[in-house]
Amino acid sequence: MSEATTAVPGVPVAPTGTTAPAARTRGLRKVYRSTVAVDQVDLDVPEGAVLGMLGPNGSGKTTTIRMLLGLVRPTEGEVELLGRRMPEGAGRALPDVGALVEGPGFHPFLSGRENLYRAAAAEPRLAGADVPGAVATALERVGLAGAAHRRYRGYSLGMKQRLGLAAALLVPRRMVVLDEPTNGLDPAGTREIRKIIAELHAEGTTVLVSSHLLAEVEATCTHVAVLHDGTVVAQGELDELLESGSPGLLVSTPDGDRALASLRENRIPGKLTPDGVRADLTATTAPKVVETLVRAGVAVHEVRRERTGLEDLFARLTQHETPGPAGLPEVDEVTK
Amino acid sequence: MTGAVTREPTTEPTGSAAAAHVGLFRLYRAELRWIFRRPRTLVVLGLLAIIPAVMGIGLAIGSSTDNGPGNGGDALLTAAAGNALALPIAALAVGLNLLLPLTSAMSAADALAGELAHGTLRSWLLAPVSRGRLLAVKALGVATFTLASVVLMSVVGVVTGLAMNGTGGLFTLSGTTLSFGAALVKVAIAAGWVSLQLWAVAAVALAISACTEHPMLVVVSVLAGTIVFTVLLMLSAVDWLHPFLLPQSWTSIVDVLRDPIAPTGLVEGAVRAVCYIVIGLSLAYARLTTRDG
Repeated sequence: MSEATTAVPGVPVAPTGTTAPAARTRGLRKVYRSTVAVDQVDLDVPEGAVLGMLGPNGSGKTTTIRMLLGLVRPTEGEVELLGRRMPEGAGRALPDVGALVEGPGFHPFLSGRENLYRAAAAEPRLAGADVPGAVATALERVGLAGAAHRRYRGYSLGMKQRLGLAAALLVPRRMVVLDEPTNGLDPAGTREIRKIIAELHAEGTTVLVSSHLLAEVEATCTHVAVLHDGTVVAQGELDELLESGSPGLLVSTPDGDRALASLRENRIPGKLTPDGVRADLTATTAPKVVETLVRAGVAVHEVRRERTGLEDLFARLTQHETPGPAGLPEVDEVTK
Repeated sequence: MTGAVTREPTTEPTGSAAAAHVGLFRLYRAELRWIFRRPRTLVVLGLLAIIPAVMGIGLAIGSSTDNGPGNGGDALLTAAAGNALALPIAALAVGLNLLLPLTSAMSAADALAGELAHGTLRSWLLAPVSRGRLLAVKALGVATFTLASVVLMSVVGVVTGLAMNGTGGLFTLSGTTLSFGAALVKVAIAAGWVSLQLWAVAAVALAISACTEHPMLVVVSVLAGTIVFTVLLMLSAVDWLHPFLLPQSWTSIVDVLRDPIAPTGLVEGAVRAVCYIVIGLSLAYARLTTRDG
């Protein structure tokens, strides 16, 4: 979107520079009556990242987000959003943050456009005269321009979700927080949300997405934080997390048997795969494996680092046995 | 395209300000737009407008009602039969007993509990609108709606009274006859006083509304409260309690129709209402600021 990219230079960038994270929590804890919803959460959302917050239902994703946005006061711990202590600094931090939390909330008897007008009325970054333009742009961006005049009551689940997204994108933001944005969306809608997240990322906006859909996170995020039972069990860059568990190299080649034989000769453990071989990298490096194969005259079509799917990683982290020994960065013990 | 260009300069001044806030008036206007676009609001206002008209017609048809059942507002109703001045005030007195408090309660229930139930309060909290400003806007919105319903009833009452009796029958309960202008002033005083009483109800309703996310609970509480207070006022055993009950002075509205106006009951009622408003809004503020959004 050309509109969005031209808007970026106008937005004042954090004077503190890129070193400060867009959002950070330390020792965050929230207790509702006797249930501990969130415990000892140290979350870091780097500036400019797309962080996927992953966890099963009831793992404390929404509670953490609500505390991050100052909607809920933590029982213990600190929250910093765009460099401001929350919830005290809400007046300064929140104008630059767009959020869709706990599903879209709108009035059923008003049209989509009227609902956005109402939301826009409270936006400090939007002068009164600019409201109609900003609302029209936001509706266009989420693909609701055609249904803007219809009452919210008659919207489908996906349209409601998009309207919520439009409200979060009324003004150019430094950070956008989306809590389960693809809930109720069909595959096409999910793709559009992904596209919007990618656009935001390209503009330099920090995005925090929570989801229990692994594929969605894997497709859109640069960083991941995995929550389980109210604690962060892993966080870091998506690529690092995915690679850390599996030191393997996938080689696709037509003559797998010869490849395997040459690997064995050089004491590199490996096994046959449908389209070639998988070399174990625990004791060696990728260049070494390729060198070995090429010397042996094996036709190498493609070499790639084996990635465990996020699904494997997630299953490993959220099952109750201790996380794998593969040296995951910042793996905390799952404490009850 | 143009959106981005025009938005750019506005980012600078607000961005450099310490904490960015939207003006209270802008929020208030958005709130009014929301209140008066709601179909329910319009239906309630329409029903309230019918009351004085129905009362006027009913009193005109059954002018031989004599001194039927011994109800409280009886003298007022009898006076309203042939009196253009008394009709709007009688309508307000009837409404004040139950219908108008319920209307205020409904508005206050929608303002916080209803918005919370819809998840719409969050979008303003995240904008952000501070909790204090939020309460201010909500209180102003409810007050405006209450005032609108009272003014509407008064206007319809005056028009109905004039249509039935002309400007001839503008006499007070003291027997004097008033000019049209003086009569309007009396109606305005009554409307203002009734609004004040309703604001007191609404302030308490807002406090309840800040504690729950079930709008119905707010309306039921006000309904129950009004009925319980009315019953308590009938029991002389608890007369020490009576000065603390808001409806204690609601019958004083008749005093507006005297010439000159008998102020004691009205002033006492006004003071009581102000106390209720202060207490109600304080409780609402205390609850709203500590509550998880």
